[in-house]
Amino acid sequence: MENIFKAMMEGPKKTTAEKSTETAKRVRRMVKGLAQKAHEARARGEPIAYLFIASFYDDILRAMDLVTVGTENYAGLCAAKMDAERFLSRAEGEGYPRYLCTYATCGLGFDALRRELGEMPPGAPDGGMEFPTVMLGTGMMICDPRYKWYQAAQRYTNAPMHVLGLLNPPVYYTHINLEEVRDYYIKYAREELKGLVDFLEQQLGRKMDWDRLSEVVDLTERTAKVWYEAYQLRKAVPTPMSTEDAVNTMVPGYFNMGTQEAYDFYRELYDEIKHRVDNGIGVIPDEKYRLLWGLSLPPWYGLVLFNYFESLGAVFPIEVVYHPPLPFEIPANVTDPLERMAWRFYDGFTHWYEKAQKHTGNPWVEWFLALIEEYKIDGVVLHQAMTCRTIHTGQLHQIKVLKEYSDIPVLLLEGDIVDVRNYNEAATHDKIDAFIEVVDAYKKGKQS
Amino acid sequence: MVQGLARVEQIYQDRSQRAKELKAGGKSIIGYLCSFTPVEIIAAADLIPYRIMGNVKQPIAHADAYLETIACPFTRSCFDIALGGGYDFLDGFVMPHACDNIVKLYDLWGYNIKHVYAHFVNVPHTLSSASFEFFRAELETFKTSLERFSGRQITTEELNRSIQLYNEQRALVLGLYQLRKQDPPLLSGTEMTKIIVAVMSTPATEANELLRGVIKEVEGREDGCQKKPARLMICGTGNDDITFMEMVEESGANVVIDDLCFGSRPYWWEVEESDDPLASIARSYLEKLNCPRTYRQSPGSHQEDLENRFGYLYEFAKDFKVNGVILYILRYCDTHAFDAPDVKEYLQGKGLPVLEIEGDYPTPSIARLKTRVQAFLEMIG
Repeated sequence: MENIFKAMMEGPKKTTAEKSTETAKRVRRMVKGLAQKAHEARARGEPIAYLFIASFYDDILRAMDLVTVGTENYAGLCAAKMDAERFLSRAEGEGYPRYLCTYATCGLGFDALRRELGEMPPGAPDGGMEFPTVMLGTGMMICDPRYKWYQAAQRYTNAPMHVLGLLNPPVYYTHINLEEVRDYYIKYAREELKGLVDFLEQQLGRKMDWDRLSEVVDLTERTAKVWYEAYQLRKAVPTPMSTEDAVNTMVPGYFNMGTQEAYDFYRELYDEIKHRVDNGIGVIPDEKYRLLWGLSLPPWYGLVLFNYFESLGAVFPIEVVYHPPLPFEIPANVTDPLERMAWRFYDGFTHWYEKAQKHTGNPWVEWFLALIEEYKIDGVVLHQAMTCRTIHTGQLHQIKVLKEYSDIPVLLLEGDIVDVRNYNEAATHDKIDAFIEVVDAYKKGKQS
Repeated sequence: MVQGLARVEQIYQDRSQRAKELKAGGKSIIGYLCSFTPVEIIAAADLIPYRIMGNVKQPIAHADAYLETIACPFTRSCFDIALGGGYDFLDGFVMPHACDNIVKLYDLWGYNIKHVYAHFVNVPHTLSSASFEFFRAELETFKTSLERFSGRQITTEELNRSIQLYNEQRALVLGLYQLRKQDPPLLSGTEMTKIIVAVMSTPATEANELLRGVIKEVEGREDGCQKKPARLMICGTGNDDITFMEMVEESGANVVIDDLCFGSRPYWWEVEESDDPLASIARSYLEKLNCPRTYRQSPGSHQEDLENRFGYLYEFAKDFKVNGVILYILRYCDTHAFDAPDVKEYLQGKGLPVLEIEGDYPTPSIARLKTRVQAFLEMIG
């Protein structure tokens, strides 16, 4: 714990949070390893794909041995290293306004600079993003930049791009009968996944090994299960692992899924959390308040804020963002690996739908309420990233609906995912101080 | 009743009046957002489609408590009006999956504005054969939901009649645009915006009659617009208000063609009639409606990609003898903003000067924008 406070006193250069678990501390090495893998692939002349997280196509890429570069991850890394501004400014100079997703503008600025220099921008974190052979966007309902970003990036890469159409029923205002639409949604997802396979076969000159894909899908499902089970252990008091670790431990699940390495990682994470629970080892010695990190991307340049919460006795046992897939049953007769992937995608977006239909009408709030109860939560924190309309519009509505069903205190912080210019650390701390007082009163009220 | 442009002006000044009359007469009014809503299906159910718009002159009064300021200012304005009761006359609302902003707005609207009917039409982003098949299935779901709401079946014949009606409307609008080809044009951009707003606020049969009257009136004009050195095209996002267009035209330009949501975008194409009208609607809306929210696969190099995506803009520019382009993009419109450098590169590469304007809604100081527009027009000479 002393390390945490020492880290905070080191001054403004400190951006990353002090982590609790040894497994989370290994993630930085893993990220470097993924970058190194891409550099080595490039040196050998092997193909490389630009990849979006949570696009549900990872298994295909693993089965085809395609080395990937997680472009959102790279922007987050640049932010954490306080080395995003040169790329953001470059993108602005190229004509991309500041209000656009800063994952995207960081990536576009990087691509523009790399093209101009004809080599990696000097000193780029982890040696830079390797030049893509293909760029794999997704036309989803969660984020327009998932296809517009790479489409724009073509001016700097000229790399062939494929957009995979993956749609889910509208999950917010719940009024449709899922039974009436499910079949054609899953069929569409399956066919679009097949379209990606066709594209990659053509571009890479490799054939899909369907048995191998089935094995990868199995491995992904097993990995998701152990990941979920590890996080279930976080219900313990004191909390054995907090959100500042989770924003790291998501890396294998979101950037390296479908690999034995990811499975082993979560197995080890499970064992470590279990050990901490069995021995009553908490994130902080005197845990006073348990908070939920809601549906919000974190400020990657300011993860140390989690340690600030801890200095006030508050921990985050769980978070909605970067959560492992929730368990569900794929019908037993579904054996085709692409169809299994389609089912996984479909459930990912409709998991809370029917419960919400009967209760709050909002699947996110439904999930919040479940987590508040299961993880004994005393307060909810959301972060509004100013350049991300994908996740960060609708938060006021979530808060409004949540307040109709719970009197739990809620804090809405303001900042950004990558652009530190949208962040005021002193004001953030003031807000947190005031919020903790409210949480304290709420908790005392609950106890009495 | 007044006809032609005088009637257009009347509707533009009080555009919900006719819808409210029809409602009082027992008709159901279905509000919708965006050009991607297939109005043909709504009309085939004998319901009145009514385009939801904002109010550029009305500051946000209610929406701030519900919808973040980082959301599209146009959709915020629409929602603000709804929260204030301005859309209480609607019986239902339909929103298509056009962009992240509309997806989120659907949730908020449904939760907070209690219309009897609500439906979200999911629209794929890609043009694969699976996307067309999916969209057709989604339109079948939409049709079924309208049938449940209206209590009547929609037949293939009714769908085809509705397609004919809207194709006729598109042809009439296209005819009006043709009257802007000459120099000076017979019809201004400001007038065209008012006409489009009026058409979108009126049942199709009446709107088509109105368009016929307007065409006759404009064709008979002996003096249309004043001849000006600049013939402009305005491209970009939606603007249902004339303030910006009027300022541009008062600054020494004739706006002769556009690629805007409240302009040519919903009209420059048609739906084929067929034995499977839903498949025709799916194909036409997905393939022919040019909007950056639909991804068009690059055929090869970057230059070929630009040609594939924006070639129609250069065709507009040639057909209408344009000598400058204003790219008007509302703040927080991600899909258009990501395209902006590509659009500029493409059009400038064709020798067309381009001025990019970041719009807001409600419109901020028009004087500041006017200075920029005037400087641009001086440059065009």
